[in-house]
Amino acid sequence: MGLKVYGHRMSQPARAVYIFCKMNGIEFEEISVNFFTKKTASPVFQEINPMKQVPAIVHGTFKLFESHAILRYLACAFPGVPDHWYPADLQKRAKIDSVLDWHHLNLRHGALRLVQAVALAPKLGRQPNPQVAIEAEKLLSESLEKIETFWLQGSGPFLLGNSEPSIADLSLVCEIMQLEVLDDKDIDRILGPHKKVQQWMEDTKTATKPHFEEIHGVLFEVKAELQKQRLLGANNA
Amino acid sequence: MTLKIYADRMSQPSRAVLIFCKVNGITFEEIKLDLARRQQRSSEYKEINPLRQVPTIVDGRFKLFESHAILRYISCAFPGVADHWYPSDLFKRAKIESVLDWHHSNLRRGAVAYILNSTLAPALGLQKNPQAAAEGEKILSSSLEQIESIWLKGNGRFLLGSSKPSIADLSLVCELMQLQVVDEKDRDRILGPHKKVEQWIEDTKQATMPHFDEVHTVLFKLKAKLQEQRLSEANNKIESSKNTTLPSKM
Ligand SMILES: N[C@@H](CCC(=O)N[C@@H](CS)C(=O)NCC(=O)O)C(=O)O
Ligand SMILES: N[C@@H](CCC(=O)N[C@@H](CS)C(=O)NCC(=O)O)C(=O)O
Repeated sequence: MGLKVYGHRMSQPARAVYIFCKMNGIEFEEISVNFFTKKTASPVFQEINPMKQVPAIVHGTFKLFESHAILRYLACAFPGVPDHWYPADLQKRAKIDSVLDWHHLNLRHGALRLVQAVALAPKLGRQPNPQVAIEAEKLLSESLEKIETFWLQGSGPFLLGNSEPSIADLSLVCEIMQLEVLDDKDIDRILGPHKKVQQWMEDTKTATKPHFEEIHGVLFEVKAELQKQRLLGANNA
Repeated sequence: MTLKIYADRMSQPSRAVLIFCKVNGITFEEIKLDLARRQQRSSEYKEINPLRQVPTIVDGRFKLFESHAILRYISCAFPGVADHWYPSDLFKRAKIESVLDWHHSNLRRGAVAYILNSTLAPALGLQKNPQAAAEGEKILSSSLEQIESIWLKGNGRFLLGSSKPSIADLSLVCELMQLQVVDEKDRDRILGPHKKVEQWIEDTKQATMPHFDEVHTVLFKLKAKLQEQRLSEANNKIESSKNTTLPSKM
């Protein structure tokens, strides 16, 4: 049964799905849907995901969206996926679900709105919004603090003290990677105080090499482009 | 050891967990926290849930929070929970996961922002914020439209065209019940255009009676109180512009 992944490499949840598939040797066809240019709202794509968002998958005739649901599904549907990604043990699994559920209105809500209000606003055809940026950064920093002091408690390098990564590590790290499009001094201010978070991101990258870097290539290109623009802006001022 | 549920019946996710256990005949001890009195900030509760939110469960030595994670866990950990709540079939389950994940940043985000900023803020020591309420309403209305046209598509009466409710029906309906506390004409404006949603709320209630109403009693009481207040406020407006206070229980 063929697997199609509709996504975009500038979408953090789509990157998580791509990296997961590559890490686990799951073959898929990558179909890029550019949400910056609203290709996600095209009638063709709405047949795939009526919510008009990426990522979405089609596996045979089965359609699914929402990255966490996709990651859970893939972990169970493909026999070769090692247990640590989404453990069969009920209590271990429940803890990972708890992180994933927490993610939506905490880390993601902060990081996504900050990035959109500051760096990606022009790409999305919007005005930068400093008020939203302030609120979003506050939530983001609180969320990072909770990861640092609570979710990364324990002996292992990964969330929940695990010694190997789960789908929650991948999802959350891909989210934080999106901060790369911000100005470096903003990134330092936000991530600087959270040493364990930084180490955990490194560990997750290393554990998912070389796919992590490869899938994030586009993000780094956008980062460089935005940096150049900021420099030009500063010189012109 | 009996399952412990730390909850406030004014909290939508808490209610979903309580109703779920009652409907499925799971014995539990309910430990009530009053969020309006900030009891979730106590040092005892921090031991139970360092992120200081409700609901949280303790099953033996196992602690868990986030209502969706709790509902999934209980469905699997307690024998006797009927399969339709959280099907073991991979495809059916994945679709329910999709609804649950969608819930957070859409229906919940919109409903919480709207209800807090239009109605409940004063009870929590916050200011009402019309701008934030309007933004919340926009997300809430588009989420309701998506439930109506996407999630409620199909033959059955429940989400995803199912003939029986799942944990997603319960979670989303409990979220929407929170709208009971807002002014009736606002609720009508928001829910009115979504007839299928209204019917589905009714069907979910019916499927989980009498527990649904019992667990929502506190909410209905608050609704009545707030309604009375609005009435007397309207009357007072004629004479003076006197300050009003909300009851301490949100
Ligand atoms: N909770 C969803 C979020 C999906 C999402 O927000 N996708 C964005 C890109 S990161 C999108 O497609 N946006 C297009 C739009 O909303 O118009 C998930 O985890 O899959
Ligand atoms: N996503 C969480 C939400 C939990 C939540 O927001 N709980 C609220 C009550 S509805 C709470 O405990 N608020 C108190 C606080 O944050 O201080 C879940 O589904 O359990």
